[in-house]
Amino acid sequence: MTTKLTRSLIYWALLSPLMVVILFPFGVMFVTAVRPREELFVYPPTWGFSEFRWENFSEMWVKTNFGGALLNSLYVSVAATVVALVLSIPAAYAMSRYRFAGKGAYRTFLLMTQMMSPIVLVLGLFRLMMSLGLVNDLNSLVLTYAAFNMAFTIWMLQSYFNSIPRDLEEAAWMDGASHLTSLVRIFLPLAVPAMVVTAIFTFINSWNEFVLALTMMRSSEDFTLPVQIYAQVAGRYQVEWHHVMAATVLATVPVAIMFSWLQRYLIRGMALGAVK
Amino acid sequence: MSSVTIRGVKKKYGAMAVLHGIDLEIRDREFVVLVGPSGCGKSTLLRMIAGLESISSGDILIGDRVVNDVPAKARDIAMVFQNYALYPHMSVYENMSFSLRLKRMAKEMIDRKVREAAEILNLSTYLERSPRQLSGGQRQRVAMGRALVRDAQVFLFDEPLSNLDAKLRVVMRTEIKALHQRLQTTSVYVTHDQIEAMTMADRIVVMNAGKIEQIGTPLELYDTPANLFVADFIGSPSMNFLRGTLEPGAVVLADGSRVPVETTGRGAAGQKVVFGIRPEHLSLSSDGTGLAAEVEVVEPTGANIQVYARVAGMPLCAVFTERHDFRPGQTIHLAWPGRNAHLFDAASGQRL
Ligand SMILES: Nc1ncnc2c1ncn2[C@@H]1O[C@H](COP(=O)(O)OP(=O)(O)OP(=O)(O)O)[C@@H](O)[C@H]1O
Ligand SMILES: [Mg+2]
Repeated sequence: MTTKLTRSLIYWALLSPLMVVILFPFGVMFVTAVRPREELFVYPPTWGFSEFRWENFSEMWVKTNFGGALLNSLYVSVAATVVALVLSIPAAYAMSRYRFAGKGAYRTFLLMTQMMSPIVLVLGLFRLMMSLGLVNDLNSLVLTYAAFNMAFTIWMLQSYFNSIPRDLEEAAWMDGASHLTSLVRIFLPLAVPAMVVTAIFTFINSWNEFVLALTMMRSSEDFTLPVQIYAQVAGRYQVEWHHVMAATVLATVPVAIMFSWLQRYLIRGMALGAVK
Repeated sequence: MSSVTIRGVKKKYGAMAVLHGIDLEIRDREFVVLVGPSGCGKSTLLRMIAGLESISSGDILIGDRVVNDVPAKARDIAMVFQNYALYPHMSVYENMSFSLRLKRMAKEMIDRKVREAAEILNLSTYLERSPRQLSGGQRQRVAMGRALVRDAQVFLFDEPLSNLDAKLRVVMRTEIKALHQRLQTTSVYVTHDQIEAMTMADRIVVMNAGKIEQIGTPLELYDTPANLFVADFIGSPSMNFLRGTLEPGAVVLADGSRVPVETTGRGAAGQKVVFGIRPEHLSLSSDGTGLAAEVEVVEPTGANIQVYARVAGMPLCAVFTERHDFRPGQTIHLAWPGRNAHLFDAASGQRL
């Protein structure tokens, strides 16, 4: 019992430098977000503060139009995730179950698209969206986010689909199911864990994306959260740091909590894959 | 229930031919076992009957309907997979009722059928469990139950017992046979285990390298194997083979010893042949005549004694039910009833 305790202590001691590095920005963020405005620039800097200013959050909400940006971000991230999944699932299924000419080349192509940074493409994308008349339209972000994430989602889904025994679908066909029925009633329920993982991944990527959002969105009522927060800092005579930090707390923490909660479903889902 | 006819069926994967023309007539209500070594194409043939694999050439008929282009779901065939392929996200009840629910059968009817099948298979107390919570034998039974509820034209089994331990395999073997006697559904059963084939089959189809070697009842195959492959494959321990040259009335072995055998009408003098005799047909000759063999290893199994010996440098096995006290190095003399001796052409392997 005690040996187990000491061992845990040692492990945590070894992990702590990493924890400090990771948690430090969050610490600064949180502490800045809740302290009174007057204490922002005390010297030397301290962790302490005289009172918890929860009002910072409500002030910020109103002053920075946080609600509007939050809705924009939610819309873009959810829609991009849905579009990416809806298009990736058939692609991954075909790659996992059928043989066709050029399958290997397609996989390599998907991988290669991942090596290009969106920044390289941002001008081209802007002109493309311009010609489509989608600049200043949130749907331009939905399309580009979905497209940028699909290479990964297809890879991820395909590897998982490969692990779902073909026998199960064949058994369903023998039981009288059409391809579509066996897909919907047998295959997809078993693929839920993979779909959750890829959805989380796409959602987080879209939620945090900055460069494309900054380029495509011209008017402030269409800003997503990262751009809206950035707008509180860039080109301002006076930056309200406590509001900026309050906004970043609200933009990151709820999402982080939601996904650490979703994680348990992943693990439960993985165990479901075992057939024998 | 229905017959299955296979006419000149071939299967190719790209340039590689896997089945080279299979002709087989499976009668209504028959239990046919496909047996053969690994990779000989048994599963491929079964999956072609099921509609899970395309047919490169030839015809497959169920009843009198050519089903070459009929998709699996419309063939009205039930199949039990080697790894059971139970739907992991459904309970036993849902697994067994899946096909009936697809047919939109009335709820009470489904319930009756599932409970009936569960009764037959001793699964009644497990209906609410998920497949994960079952033992191998129980999963196997659920897979059977899924086939059973359907009243399909034909049952297909692909090595359904190979994931079970030896004891359970024997039990399930008997259960499947009893089930067939009761339901009389035409069945095709794939295995590589010749004992399973012998004990369960009405007729056995011995396959090798994409061809049928022989079709017959278990006893036909045992008594008159058509060639060396079948003679070697059927029976355990397998048949002894002694190579030699044919002379009138005997096969002469390498060391000059003569093995007496009926030769009239069976090949020409001087022909290279293989003499075959099953271990269980050998007995000790009382008068010191007969084939001389040098004992190497003695293995008592309880029910009998298996003796591994050497004749003219060739290995030979004999099985005795009497309790003899053999010692390694000892020379014994063996005899057998003439009608149990087999003779094969050494070049073609065909029975003479
Ligand atoms: N999809 C495929 N592509 C190419 N070759 C295949 C394919 N499926 C099977 N084969 C080949 O066909 C041959 C027959 O395979 P099959 O699965 O029918 O053998 P089997 O008799 O069932 O063997 P086992 O007892 O090991 O199950 C094998 O040589 C195998 O390599
Ligand atoms: Mg097989």
